[in-house]
Amino acid sequence: MPHNNRKGTPLPRIFMISSGEEQGEGRGELIEHLTLLPSHIPCIVQIREKHLHTKDLLTLAQRARGIRLPEGSLLLCNERADVALAAGLDGVHLPENAVPPDKLRAYAPDLIFGCSIHSPEALRSAEQAGADYLLFGPVFDTPSKRKYGPPQGLKKLGELCRASSLPIYALGGVTPQNAALCMDEGAYGTAGLSIFRDTSRMRETLEQLYSILNR
Amino acid sequence: MIPSSPFLCVITDEAYSPVTLAEQALKVGAAMIQLRHKTASGSQLFAWAVAIGKLCSEYHALFIINDRVDIALASKADGVHLGQDDLPAAAARKLLGNSRIIGVSASSVEEAVQAEKDGADYIGFGHIYPTVSKLKEHAPLGPDNLQKTVESLSLPVVAIGGITIENAPILISRGAAGVAVISAVSRAEVPSKAASELLSALQKSLP
Repeated sequence: MPHNNRKGTPLPRIFMISSGEEQGEGRGELIEHLTLLPSHIPCIVQIREKHLHTKDLLTLAQRARGIRLPEGSLLLCNERADVALAAGLDGVHLPENAVPPDKLRAYAPDLIFGCSIHSPEALRSAEQAGADYLLFGPVFDTPSKRKYGPPQGLKKLGELCRASSLPIYALGGVTPQNAALCMDEGAYGTAGLSIFRDTSRMRETLEQLYSILNR
Repeated sequence: MIPSSPFLCVITDEAYSPVTLAEQALKVGAAMIQLRHKTASGSQLFAWAVAIGKLCSEYHALFIINDRVDIALASKADGVHLGQDDLPAAAARKLLGNSRIIGVSASSVEEAVQAEKDGADYIGFGHIYPTVSKLKEHAPLGPDNLQKTVESLSLPVVAIGGITIENAPILISRGAAGVAVISAVSRAEVPSKAASELLSALQKSLP
């Protein structure tokens, strides 16, 4: 069953994270990628550019907001509720060490807040603090996360999904080939960064994921 | 609102526990604390902000947070201090409303005038003298530029950068409403003593 967001529309099943390589003044690949999203595939798009100065992050967020996204899509930024509000985004994705969502919700009641979690303890705190969705990973092996040790695996994903009624997105090495395994464990959807970067294959990847995740 | 002149603003840094530093500065009479820490996590900043905010209200001092309007709102700080690369003051004002304070860093008269137009409540002007706290892109501005900026604005101007007990009275006599320090207090052997000496120097500047 789809989870509804605060606007009453279902949360998208596909969660796309920006490369982390955007440049200042809104230069980079994100804007191009947003224009390439197929109009029938709603996505959560998280602008995650931690290296940018706040001013440049705001400029990027405002430019992204100006793109017409597939209906039902949600545009989030990483951590900064001030930037989300200033740019008119839909919400904020919070890393595990960020300010808890209930403290932010107090002054941003209309934003969607999601939380990264890496453990059952983090899942409980995020639930108690009123998160709208959770992001868990890395489920599979992914080059960018190898420095943090082995992947967390499908079994742990399943345990967390069964322990929570919140929608959980599986992140880390998820592809159209293994996405169904995440769904079998109870994931609500899947998230990725690198699989969306090849613009020549982005549409095909999204179509494949969309049909698997909405089965 | 802005403390009465001449006041001392102590800015935290990575060299010293922000809460301990704030308490040391407050107990000797600093009227403004700015939480500034570029590498701490959001949850850590928030925890510090709540603790320092409580101390500041006990000491009737002003508490502002560098850059993070989100954390200022969540922790109900008195305001924010924004650099030229942070949220524009006008955007911050929409989020913070009129009852909270927005300070803006400026390193030229032009930037200061723009910040005033954008709705800043005070200007942090510097660096006035050479300083070790931050990597600087321009030469020290000196007391003449400070005075020029003070005369071009109706906002209070806080002098920052290389402030010492020797030069602080000069800057007040040139029109600064207060001085802000980072390393002069945070890296002093006894931060409360350093803050106290700066406060005495500011009092001496009064006619």
